[in-house]
Amino acid sequence: MPTLIRLDDGRFSAAEDIFTDVADEDEIPAGPVILSLARFQAEGDALVTSNRPVGVRIQTDEAVEDLAYDLPRLALVAVVFPKFRDGRTFTTATLLRERFGFAGEVRAVGDVLLQQAMFMVRTGFDSFVPADGATPEQWARAAGLFRHVYQRAADHRPPAFEERG
Amino acid sequence: MYRYDTIDKEFLEDRANQFRGEVVRRLAGDITEDQFKPTRLMNGLYLQLHAYMLRVAVPYGSLNPAQVRAFAHIARTWDKGYGHFTTRQNIQFNWIRLGDAPDILDHLASVDLHAIQTSGNCIRNVTSDPYAGATAQEIDDPRVWSEVLRQWSTLHPEFSYLPRKFKIAVTAAETDRTAARAHDIGLKVLRNADGALGFEVMVGGGQGRTPYLAPTIKPFLPASRLISYLEAILRVYNRHGRRDNIYKARIKILVASLGPEEFARQVEEEWDKIGEGRDWPDTELARIRGSFVRTPFETLAPRSDIFDAEQAADRSFARFVRNNVKAHKQPGYAIVEISLKAPGATPGDASADQMDAVADLAERYGLNDIRVTHEQNLVLPHVKLDDVPAVHRALQAVGLATSNISLISDIIACPGLDYCALANARAIPIAQAIQQQFADPDRAEDIGELKIKISGCINACGHHHVGHIGVLGVDKKGEEFYQLSLGGSGAEDASLAAILGPALPADKVAGAVDKLVETYLAIRQGEERFLDTFRRAGMAPFKEAVYADAH
Amino acid sequence: MKALTANRLIDGEVVFWQAGQWVERFADAELFAADDPAGPAAVDAAKTQPTVIVEPYLIDLAEGPAGLAPVSYRERIRALGPTNEPTHGKQAEGGAAVAALQAATGAARSTGRVDLIRRK
Repeated sequence: MPTLIRLDDGRFSAAEDIFTDVADEDEIPAGPVILSLARFQAEGDALVTSNRPVGVRIQTDEAVEDLAYDLPRLALVAVVFPKFRDGRTFTTATLLRERFGFAGEVRAVGDVLLQQAMFMVRTGFDSFVPADGATPEQWARAAGLFRHVYQRAADHRPPAFEERG
Repeated sequence: MYRYDTIDKEFLEDRANQFRGEVVRRLAGDITEDQFKPTRLMNGLYLQLHAYMLRVAVPYGSLNPAQVRAFAHIARTWDKGYGHFTTRQNIQFNWIRLGDAPDILDHLASVDLHAIQTSGNCIRNVTSDPYAGATAQEIDDPRVWSEVLRQWSTLHPEFSYLPRKFKIAVTAAETDRTAARAHDIGLKVLRNADGALGFEVMVGGGQGRTPYLAPTIKPFLPASRLISYLEAILRVYNRHGRRDNIYKARIKILVASLGPEEFARQVEEEWDKIGEGRDWPDTELARIRGSFVRTPFETLAPRSDIFDAEQAADRSFARFVRNNVKAHKQPGYAIVEISLKAPGATPGDASADQMDAVADLAERYGLNDIRVTHEQNLVLPHVKLDDVPAVHRALQAVGLATSNISLISDIIACPGLDYCALANARAIPIAQAIQQQFADPDRAEDIGELKIKISGCINACGHHHVGHIGVLGVDKKGEEFYQLSLGGSGAEDASLAAILGPALPADKVAGAVDKLVETYLAIRQGEERFLDTFRRAGMAPFKEAVYADAH
Repeated sequence: MKALTANRLIDGEVVFWQAGQWVERFADAELFAADDPAGPAAVDAAKTQPTVIVEPYLIDLAEGPAGLAPVSYRERIRALGPTNEPTHGKQAEGGAAVAALQAATGAARSTGRVDLIRRK
């Protein structure tokens, strides 16, 4: 099983993954599930009304706007990094948090590397499935390496210009 | 010069520590080369032909003497005694060991310098006017806005993995010394009819395989809305720029495929949604402005007897004044350009001793200010006219008094195949051969302004698309060949050069340039520059001159 | 003929394969016949040394006026050093082996030149 790292109240820790990541060709099992955007749009309505946690997997070529009205019913959005270089993920997370006010879990899945931990945390990701086997301790260190940041972002860290007051 | 505060300094320390950690992980085998490469590149470290090359940022081309001495120290301690100033106002060291790179970054941080975002698909070092704060032409000091952009773009969490690299230029003068329209974003500071400060925003320029000049997508952006508007541009690009083809990934391709109007509309739509919440507070913009040390000019007479007498007495000084000394906004001062294009020199290279000498001169005569130009020269922006003769003598002593700014021997050249892993052909020896061909300084002055720009491959680091004469090195079945193009300009009259004809072998390039120049001299009218004559007369006479023998 | 080259991880130095070792001089490189499976086998062996070298690849060699030399300009410059600074790089050592490389001219594109964009 790949490690799942959760960021909760500023702390990074290993967590149990209660969700089943369901491929489009597989049957939907019982319990919390993560579906592709297309499948969620086709079959998700029945699932969310059955009162179980549902998440959606969003690819970098899919528009997060398409999820806007469903977000209040979702427990999780899994943002897929097809390659770590594909930085559309950071815009997706930013929009989820800042434009749509999504308060559920935003999970980084796919080619998820330690060296991007800080960017992920800053853009609003709060759970991570590292592809490089990084530990929660490494993740915490990488995310907190910088004592200062220069921009406003989804993590609400005070940027340098606020620190300077 | 902007004074770094504790926050800026601690940021650079943290960055250097981060890189040290990553190097340790790489050397230990904890991460693969593929995993390490983005970190390496975002710290400016390339693996080139012979060694690692470290590209150090010179934020908006502005340096103080301690920083130039740090370059000299790095050149002596960790390199082979020289550095190479680039067409992006940065400096590169060619012989770096990976194992030494963390120590070098620590040393740079100690003088408020770094290599952050000098490579990678992120927002690169901001280009600005090397005459900022010295030229009478400017509306506002572009360094203030460049520093705002430096801070905003540094480790920007959303925009550090763009489809491709991203370059921004800021200029505030009528004469464009930044090649603004050749950038992904060009910002020109201006005032509107009400006197309010703002920017003309040009987007989608670039060189490389498919060159474009950036169209203006917003004629006037209020200065206070700069950051939110840039975020809107970057967000549209990050989402919709192509990621499937490295040659089509720059924003210029997106702007060209959507059309400037549609691109502008998408940016406006996104900008409306972002709102003012992302703009930086006026207090911070004012703080950054206030953190620039006021240049302590003295009140002087506009003319200097010493300066005038020396010109009458010394012909070499008179030549230096004609070509390298430019008007200053402050009476009694001058802008002094230092050419890194001496005969036989590698364009843009400076030795450690030369760098130390320039630092000394800036301290003694230049109000501690040194600039790098995108044409690979240095500038002492604030020299008293009284002191220019002494500066000239001191430059002569270290081989830096070449009087050829903007002349035919002031050639831009990328490192080319002598160093660069991407190059197809050498650029430096071609520059040297042309310099040799036009070694007579009287002839060079008679020819007047003529900008030759040489790239060793299609990536166009040598800006050949915007050369009055552009030279592109190509690989023809393993042999070095050179394609000439004419009529480009990176200045306020920006244009892209057009190809002259079939590529030439290396030993024919300087001779071909000579024929182009002779043609120009034969048909020029009045005060026309080479570029003006080309624009009037067209390609035909030049093509005939170079290829007539081949018929 | 072919030789196997790479850059050393720690300092970026151009190195050549010689019977399982990495040597700095082209003149000391192991030579493989064009169709000798030992060449590709050496590449595979080199790829297992990611903490020693970066990106190993085979280069084509041809007989020049003074001996074997890499076919491509690029590889000759790697084996010698930058042409604008004759005292820098391997060429500084001088001698017959360096002279032989410098005497080589002309070229056909080296098959060893892999995807350059990826290499930066």
